[in-house]
Formats: sequence, C-alpha cells, structure tokens
Amino acid sequence: MSDETGVPSYLIPRISPEAAEFFAGTVRGELRVQRCASCGLHHHYPRMFCPHCGSDELTWVTASGRGTVHSFTVIRQQGIPMFKEQVPFVVALVDLDEPGARFIAQLPTVAPEHAVIDMRVQVRFRPASEDMAFVEFEPHE
Amino acid sequence: MNRRVCVAGVGWADGPKTPDLTAMGLQAQAFGRATADAGLTKSDIDGLASAGYGGMHEVQLAEYLGLTPHWLDSTSCGGSSFEFHALHAYRAIQAGDVDTVAIVYGNNELSTAGRSLGTGRSGGGGAAAMPYPMSFELTTGLTLVGAYAMAAQRHMHQYGTTAEQLASIAVQTREHAARNPHAMYRDLITVDDVLGSKLVADPLHKLDCCVVSDGGCALILTTEERARDLGRPLVYVRGAAAGMTHHSIQGMPDLTVTAGAVTGPKAFAEAGIGPSDVDTFQMYDSFTYTVLVCLEDLGFAPKGEGGAFAASGALRLGGALPTNTDGGGLSATHPGMRGLFLLCEATRQLRGEAGDSQVAGAEIAVAHGSGGWLSTMGTVVLGTEPV
Ligand SMILES: [Zn+2]
Repeated sequence: MSDETGVPSYLIPRISPEAAEFFAGTVRGELRVQRCASCGLHHHYPRMFCPHCGSDELTWVTASGRGTVHSFTVIRQQGIPMFKEQVPFVVALVDLDEPGARFIAQLPTVAPEHAVIDMRVQVRFRPASEDMAFVEFEPHE
Repeated sequence: MNRRVCVAGVGWADGPKTPDLTAMGLQAQAFGRATADAGLTKSDIDGLASAGYGGMHEVQLAEYLGLTPHWLDSTSCGGSSFEFHALHAYRAIQAGDVDTVAIVYGNNELSTAGRSLGTGRSGGGGAAAMPYPMSFELTTGLTLVGAYAMAAQRHMHQYGTTAEQLASIAVQTREHAARNPHAMYRDLITVDDVLGSKLVADPLHKLDCCVVSDGGCALILTTEERARDLGRPLVYVRGAAAGMTHHSIQGMPDLTVTAGAVTGPKAFAEAGIGPSDVDTFQMYDSFTYTVLVCLEDLGFAPKGEGGAFAASGALRLGGALPTNTDGGGLSATHPGMRGLFLLCEATRQLRGEAGDSQVAGAEIAVAHGSGGWLSTMGTVVLGTEPV
C-alpha cells in the first residue's frame, strides 16, 4: 500500500516504454495522447503504431481533457478490496474531443442515478504513486 | 481432396457441481463418453483441440488420455475457442490433413473459483496482474460483467432496448433448463424476478448473468465416410466462420455490433442457408445482452430489434427460433467457458435425441460462440443433410 494515495501496490501497473510519456503527463496534470501525422486521428492506450491507419508517424499532444460519455455502467459487485469499499461506482467509456481517442475511466463524483450517455465530462487525476496518477473524469458544464 | 465432415460423437462430463473431480478428470470423462457415443476408441483419434489453461494444455491432455495425435489446436480466445477449433478441424479434415478430431473442454470452475467469475477476484498478484495494456481497464475497477453492461447500456440508448426485453431471454432460457435434469437452476422465473434480482453492473442483474458451474463436454468430428460406418445419425458441418473485433471493451469499434455480423452471414453463405432456415440456435449466453446482440448480428432480427424479437417468445420451444434448448449458460451450465456445449447441444437436437427439449424436425442448427468481452466470435452451421 502506498500510504499517501490509498492505492494498493498490486493495482499499480508497471510503466511500459510506450506509455512512459502518458504516465509522466498524469503526474504533471496533463492528459497526453498520441496523434497520427498520417491520418490525423488520436488514440489511447499508447502504441508503437496508429491503430486507425497503421502509420508509425506518431506525435504526443496534450489533450483538452474534455470529452463525452459514450457508455457507462455502475459497478455494484467487485471482489478486489479497494474497489469493494467503493461500490457502487460509475465506470465510463469517454470519447475525447480530440477525434479517435477513447478512454475507460471512473466518474467518481457522479452518483449512479445521475450518470447518462452523452454527458460532457472533463479529466481529473487521482495520484496512484510517485510516478503516475489514474485518469478519471468529472462533469463539465 | 474436399471431404465432407460430420459429427461422430458427443459426450458430457458430470455436472453442474463436481467437487471430487479435477478439470482434467472432467475432460477425460467427457472424452471417454464422446468416444463411446461415437463407437470409436482412443486410437482412432488423430487430432485434438482444447483451450483454457495456458500453454501446451492440449498436449498435457493428450498425455493424460494416452493419445499421440499429429494434429493439435490450442486456439485459446475465450469462450468461442471451440467454434474456432471446429472451424479449423473442419477445414483440416476437408483437406485430408487429419481424419478424426476430438474437441474437449472441462473445468471445475465452481468448485475451485466459486461464484466470483466476472466480478473481480480478491487478492493481489503483483504487477503481473496488471499487464499492459489491460492495466488501463483493470485499474478502473471495471469487471467482466461491467464490460458487457456498458455494451448493453449503449444498445438501450441507441435502440430503446429495455431491461424487460433482456430479462425475457433469461426467462425463456430457464424454461428450457426446467426440462434438463442436469441444469443448475430449474425453477421457472418471471421478468419481474430478473428485474428484482440484484444489479451486478447496470443494467445487468444477477439473473442476466450466466451461472458458474463445474462440467465439461467433448465433440468428435470425422469424415462423412467414417461417420457412416459408425451408424450414428449423421450430422454434417455445413459451414463455419470465425472473427474478432477487439480485446478490451475500450477497443470495441461499435458496442452494438459484434464480429458475428461478419461470421454469421459468412457461415450461412457457405452452408447455403438464410436465418429463416435455422431450426434451433445455440448461442453463447454469457449474459442476456450477448444473446440479444447476436440475434441481430446473425440476421434473426434487424439491428435494434433483437429485444422485441426475443420478448415475443421466439426463443421458446415452439417459438420462431428455439434457443439454448439445454437451459444455456444462464441457467444450466457454465464451467468458465461454454462454446463447446453449443456444438454438443446442436448435435443432440439434430440427432433427435433431445427428449423433452426436442425441437420437432430440426434439420439446421447454428452454434455461435462469443469470447472475451464480445471480442471473438465463431459461427458453425450443422445440418442433417450435406450442403
Ligand atoms: Zn493513423
């Protein structure tokens, strides 16, 4: 357990080389995504190639952090201790305003009965360790 | 060479609860019963396929059974692996690479893992439990049920599909289970029972989710010529296709369309049939939504109308498309993966051996497996006559 964050060590992923820039961004409070110079689309999670067109001409950009809920669920049963204490909580698929990038993330401040598809959201970061924060979203007017 | 391929034998292991049997024991039991059903001995088996337990599982199984097959398939892509195996075996037998293939699955999921399947298991596992890139999903607390739930939620939003329509799938499946003495749950349920059961991941309730059981089954494919000699009712493989769209639910291109939209029409075309020719549908019902979306993708109902089609009572015996006539994963058996049970039940129906659950005069049966999080799909068309 890392004391400051409350996130147990077994929930901290290893930082893989292709995602280093993404995780570094989360510590700075920036949502970094890859943009393809060939097709212009963005993607997440970080990769060596653009999953849309296959090009390797990728650059890192800082996303606006705003997006739209494509779908969601309310998790009411979870066996992993940290999440078990949290239920019920909302997990959503969020399409960033930057086309092509879809995130999966918790909406921790959205009550289950207030979650709706198409709601506008903006990113927030939950510190998970010294080297990373988890991406979350909250309502954006 | 382009030989016709038939089912030689099917067998089921004990279930739905077998605390005294290992996973390997269940597989051996199913294999023994399938070879006996076919009238074959183990020396007749020159191909083996299995899935589910990491590398070289099928090799270990061959050793356990005392087989030395020259053809192996360990394709492991979730619950639809067995439709992939059937496709691969079908092509290999057609081509003359192998004559007689056993596809085997068994697991004591209930007795070893309990009821936590799909809702997050407790405990650690260290960084290995958070492999890249699945860590982006796992660190959100999303569960397997939750992934399906997000797809169902989107379908409801886009097409007005209702929780009642999803529930009707569980209700009709339970009617089939009530006729199956080996089913895990046999008491009839209502739509209100489903909607009144605990929400696991909105909009999916406990009774929208498959059971967790022990069990196993085996299916043997061989040449038409061989099958004819064995004297069992002939069941032909008429067509098969497999495909995938994504791994994590985050990568699913359209939450309301699966790879079944490709594999269904492709397998049907090879089989020379259309959706209206199908007498019974054995569909991987991991969740009620899995059935609903594949009813649409395989063309039994137009996109967006799967809910209304299901709620009309189509899935009952005597309905337009009797589905999961053994009680399905929703009520009968689901030992971790279910894809092979679909092929075995389809065979039982086409042989006319389904007893109280028999679809009268069934000539065409479709088995459609789904694996992962609506990720991998395989369609196999079986029939009492060749194409
Ligand atoms: Zn591109």
